[in-house]
Amino acid sequence: MAISEVKRLAQALSQEYNSANPDLAKCGQFLSQLKIALIELSYLTHEERPNNIEELTLARDVLEIGAQWSVRTKDIPSFERYMAQLQTYYNDHSALPASPLKYNLIGLNLLCLLSQNRISDFHTALETIDPEQLHNNPAIQHPIKLEQSLMEGSYNRVWSSRSEVPSKEYLFFIDILMDTIRNEIASCSEKAYTSLPLSDAGTLLFFTNMEDILNFAKERNWKVNPVEQKAYFHSDADEKINIPADQIIKQTMFYARDMDRIV
Amino acid sequence: MSEAPRRSTRLNKNQEDDSKGKAKPVDQDVEMEDTAADATTEPTEKVLTPKELEALVVADIKQHFALFIKSAKTHEARFAVRALRAVSSLRKRLTSHILAQTIASCYIKDDDTRKRLLGYLGSEAAASITAEHETTVTKSETPEVDVYLHLLVMIYLLDQNQLEKGMELSNITVKTVQELNRRSLDQLAAKVYFYYARFYELTGRLSEIRPTLLNAQRTATLRRDDDTQSTLINLLLRNYFHYNLYDQADKLVSKTTFPENATNNQLARYMYYLGRIKAIQLEYTESHQSLLQAVRKAPQNNVTAGFQQEANKLLIIVQLLMGEIPERSLFRQPVLRKALVPYFQITQAVRVGDLNKFQETLATHAATFNADKNYTLILRLRHNVIKTGIRMISLSYSRISLRDVCLKLHLDSEEDAEYIVAKSIRDGVIDATIDHEKGFMRSKENVDIYSTNEPQHAFHQRIGFCLKLHNDSVKAMRFPLKAVQLDAAEVEAARDQERTLVQEIAEADEDMDEDDDL
Repeated sequence: MAISEVKRLAQALSQEYNSANPDLAKCGQFLSQLKIALIELSYLTHEERPNNIEELTLARDVLEIGAQWSVRTKDIPSFERYMAQLQTYYNDHSALPASPLKYNLIGLNLLCLLSQNRISDFHTALETIDPEQLHNNPAIQHPIKLEQSLMEGSYNRVWSSRSEVPSKEYLFFIDILMDTIRNEIASCSEKAYTSLPLSDAGTLLFFTNMEDILNFAKERNWKVNPVEQKAYFHSDADEKINIPADQIIKQTMFYARDMDRIV
Repeated sequence: MSEAPRRSTRLNKNQEDDSKGKAKPVDQDVEMEDTAADATTEPTEKVLTPKELEALVVADIKQHFALFIKSAKTHEARFAVRALRAVSSLRKRLTSHILAQTIASCYIKDDDTRKRLLGYLGSEAAASITAEHETTVTKSETPEVDVYLHLLVMIYLLDQNQLEKGMELSNITVKTVQELNRRSLDQLAAKVYFYYARFYELTGRLSEIRPTLLNAQRTATLRRDDDTQSTLINLLLRNYFHYNLYDQADKLVSKTTFPENATNNQLARYMYYLGRIKAIQLEYTESHQSLLQAVRKAPQNNVTAGFQQEANKLLIIVQLLMGEIPERSLFRQPVLRKALVPYFQITQAVRVGDLNKFQETLATHAATFNADKNYTLILRLRHNVIKTGIRMISLSYSRISLRDVCLKLHLDSEEDAEYIVAKSIRDGVIDATIDHEKGFMRSKENVDIYSTNEPQHAFHQRIGFCLKLHNDSVKAMRFPLKAVQLDAAEVEAARDQERTLVQEIAEADEDMDEDDDL
């Protein structure tokens, strides 16, 4: 397939994707067609020939749409694949003109890692970002602030960050994140309170519906007292402390063996 | 390091000789040539003229040649190591004249290598070659000498900041080393790769040599060439770090094994890189261990000040992230004091749990932290500042309203304070409960730490460390070969034993001499 034809196809894809009401299935078809076509160009061989800048830019643009499309279709593994391929275009091809979507997608990737609780990958990815962008780019700042709030426990701020997302693709991951947070808050509450009025539990967990609260309480084995409208958490105060005999024996044997070796 | 004391004894000797009036400045040059191999006995004047100094250095270089040849013949790496160790002191005294003279005395006039090397040094240096140097041409058969000369010229070019030329030469040298494929070149090859990478780093083209280094690394691993292997792993890690590619660096570390016999300096570097990777991946305990080793293995002198500072900076942050406060004395060390000032302020902020002070320090020293590539790590400390703050509050108050917690920690809202306190309770930072309706936090009574398993754990950790230290020291000891012979001698007849003993004593003396030199 000649480059002009691939270009035509890519244009059709971006037109379809950027239209007001894109047909996602159709975009998917375009993408798989394009990927096959791109292999014939410089898609996989990453040599920087002087004349293939055009081809590389084309491939990158297609991949970018592909990544966004994956988020729309809620396909996380596919999103990760597209991002992994895009990394080479972002990091190793300095001759390419910068893409306007670059930081938006990197931010999305960060959020994706965060929503899966892959914190160490999140931080590794963070290090590769240019410090200038790190401090000033809103698309990057958003996941960074989110991670900070999460670590501190300011869940309130995580909740409110929903309203200030840089682009609508972010919402998909934030919704995943919300579930994680709810469980976090619940486990914190179990340790921190002895009892909690149900209505307050609702506000803490960002529930508006009483039924949701009761379902959630059931899921986590909370004792709900319907008269007082309070949830009681099982306390672990009467847990017995076992003497770690096994461990102590092992340790002592280890000392004895090593002492023996020295003497 | 061994060079310094040796030099001083030589000078003392010179002075003695001088006072006895034995030295005759006239025939000095001739004598020098003869006694080049044994530099300690050469008589010189108290104040050396530049020309004599040059001759001294040339003699030193020639002595190194002898060591390399010996090393190649006996298959004993330590002679080569000894010569290479002297390079750092030699480096300060290198001039183009010295190099030109040495080159002239090693190659015949029409040799290609000679022309090439002299070309790098410039025409002025070539002009300093006199007939006198030409007379003693001894064409060396060993390529070690060849490579060593290349290395010296590379170092000289680096010091003269002639990067383009140096890069060209390093390319040629690396190619030569790879083509020669001699085990006796291993130690030299490691050095050559080091300067090769250094030239590319200084010209900002580090990413270009990655394939070469990876190939060389594979070859070195297959040949079990520990020196080159350890140098190359470190160079690759540095290469990745330069572009912040921690992911690749981590993969490299997990796919390679760092040779156990690597020199301390390489090990210290490796440990530092490892510490950084682990710190970024939030594995603070491992990171802390690696960094501690890096700091301890690094030679404690002014030459390595840069490394010590970097490693200590990272160590401080990792310690803080682990919730420990670094010792005050660390910040007072003369080598480190100035470089660590911003980190000291951060430590203070974390120690008292003052969020405002933390943000202030972060803002004032942002440029420094960014330059050290520690900014993102320090950002994570915000969380620790809050934790310390909460712990302090929990210790001082038995009951405090969430509103006061919020004010004391400069948090955004009371709800935030409630979530944060709840999280710290779950994470085990404090032992307390929250009363939601009345809006306060109640601290529980302190548990006696000695009623828990905590002391046992601490004890185990320390004993484990001591035992490991002992085992490592035993492993690190070097026994002379004669120990094996002794065992054999025991079963032999008594006269044989006696004869062996005599032989051993002689050998031991020899060994001692050599050890002294080392």
